[in-house]
Amino acid sequence: MLLSSLVIVLVASTFLVQNRYYASQVLQAGAQDNARAATELMASEIRSVMLDGIIVAGPRTLTVRSPIVLATVCQALANQSFVHSPGGQSAIDTVEVAGIAIRDTISGAWTYAQASFASFNGSDAGAQNRCASTGADTVGSYNEFHEFGSLPALLGTTPALGDVLMLFRETTFTVQTSTMDTTVQGLFRKTFWSTATELASGFDTSARFQYRTSAGTYVDTVTTANLDDIDVIRMIVDTRKPAPTGGVEDITSGWSVNIALRNVR
Amino acid sequence: MMPAQNTTQREGGFVLGFVILMLFAISVMSATGYLVVSNEFSMSKHASESSEAVAVARAGLERFVAEQIGVVGDSVSYAIGDGIALVTTTRLSARDSLTDVYYVQSEASVSDVFTTNAPTQRTVGAYALHHRRPLAHHAQMLISEREIEVESSFWGYGQVHGIDSSTVADCPGGGATSITAAIALNQVDERSLVNGAPDSEIWANYQAMYDSIALRWDVLQDPDFPVEFEDQMPNFAALPADSFPVIRYNGNQYFSNSHDGRGLLIVTGEYDAWTSFDWEGIILAGSVDYRIYGDIRGMLVGGLDRANPGSKVEVRGGNFYYSCNVYAANESLSYLSLIENSVFEVN
Repeated sequence: MLLSSLVIVLVASTFLVQNRYYASQVLQAGAQDNARAATELMASEIRSVMLDGIIVAGPRTLTVRSPIVLATVCQALANQSFVHSPGGQSAIDTVEVAGIAIRDTISGAWTYAQASFASFNGSDAGAQNRCASTGADTVGSYNEFHEFGSLPALLGTTPALGDVLMLFRETTFTVQTSTMDTTVQGLFRKTFWSTATELASGFDTSARFQYRTSAGTYVDTVTTANLDDIDVIRMIVDTRKPAPTGGVEDITSGWSVNIALRNVR
Repeated sequence: MMPAQNTTQREGGFVLGFVILMLFAISVMSATGYLVVSNEFSMSKHASESSEAVAVARAGLERFVAEQIGVVGDSVSYAIGDGIALVTTTRLSARDSLTDVYYVQSEASVSDVFTTNAPTQRTVGAYALHHRRPLAHHAQMLISEREIEVESSFWGYGQVHGIDSSTVADCPGGGATSITAAIALNQVDERSLVNGAPDSEIWANYQAMYDSIALRWDVLQDPDFPVEFEDQMPNFAALPADSFPVIRYNGNQYFSNSHDGRGLLIVTGEYDAWTSFDWEGIILAGSVDYRIYGDIRGMLVGGLDRANPGSKVEVRGGNFYYSCNVYAANESLSYLSLIENSVFEVN
């Protein structure tokens, strides 16, 4: 009888320990999956930020303007710019377009103007022929030409032949209390015209952004005057999951991701 | 009273059960561990392949632009690292008579040979300027040497002409505006015929010359930079009459009638020529021998390496400005340059 009880207790405790171990591992893997997927998504969006593209650089808030697509003017008229963009209009996520920017041909700096895509989008009819008349090769890329209007009013200058334009999105990433689980933090993404949506939850309060400047060191905040000095953004991903059973500490893990901004220099 | 043998059998059954239980526990732990590690491995691998694909795409783009000379090709692929970059170009407009705008796209795919997964693909694009005729027509002869002395001798009657000998019948743009005949650093000594508009000019220093011609001499003279013909002349008879190829001689080279031809001639070392040598097009030279013969119907730019062997260059051949030959050779010299801040990931 005693021996049987002992065996039952042993078996039960083994199963309990197994269950707890398995549950904690699954939670940890889940937290890492979440965070890694979110940082990958974030990295792909941040990596191509252009010069003058960082708007806010704080420890828990990051706002960037990143290119959705670049276009170049292949025929310039007073209030009509006929442009080429890779993939054409169908490749543009028009809902996310926060505005249009023009590149200064001398300094390479961008002048940004916030506007919806609809406010400057023109008719595509005949755009190919307009550009072909200035030497564009439209074979195989017939649908990649279209017309933008009202750009002088938006940009303060009339785009010239060969000027490079950028349709950009303006995205704000924040680390704040998760709406899915209020005991932890979440990573939120907000585009210019939309409300914030939660990309991932399960972050610890120590999760934050850091920025490398020309000094070579990472700091939590960069002031507005020095935003152009940032060349790497670091996401410190500390995750926290409440323990599956009581009497056990929360499950934590963490790593950091450095996203080099290739186009800001 | 039970026999002792039966008691031992019951204890043996307990141990067996316990061992099976422990084996089960170990199996569960191992399976859990494998699950975690496997997931982590897959995610890391995908993230790594994704980054590599971007790097391969960018490398392909940069390599294409760096190696491009002459007519811009439609597409080319490079094997880089574990991936392949396919670079394609589209001509978008002629910004002016000398510069075209191109869209250059590089699509990279990185595959993992150990899995059946589809290759990771990333694409980057950029805008580029195609400098169609990069060498400006400053002078028929431009040498970064203290003095150019145009003289006649028993072996040759020295002449340098900046008046265009081509006509519109030769090519569109022929009969161009006259240019300076000769440019040196200190003096152009006109002991024989020098005729241009003006006849000669004195430029401040080597740097002024180098900057003004706006050529990528460091690239052109690099043995790793691919050109059409290396250290040998092509069989010009086998080439179309309007073909002006790029020929590069590495090091010093002496030219005679066996080298007669046309095109863009690059001499990375010292250029020297005998009376029988005839060339149509452009000659770019690291340095120029103190005495040169031969006839050049086009342009000569010498002393690109700054150092010349003597304090002056004696010119004893006929040097004539043929704008049509220069145009044609200049097209072979054309190159792409990326528009700064225009590289982006194509979504």
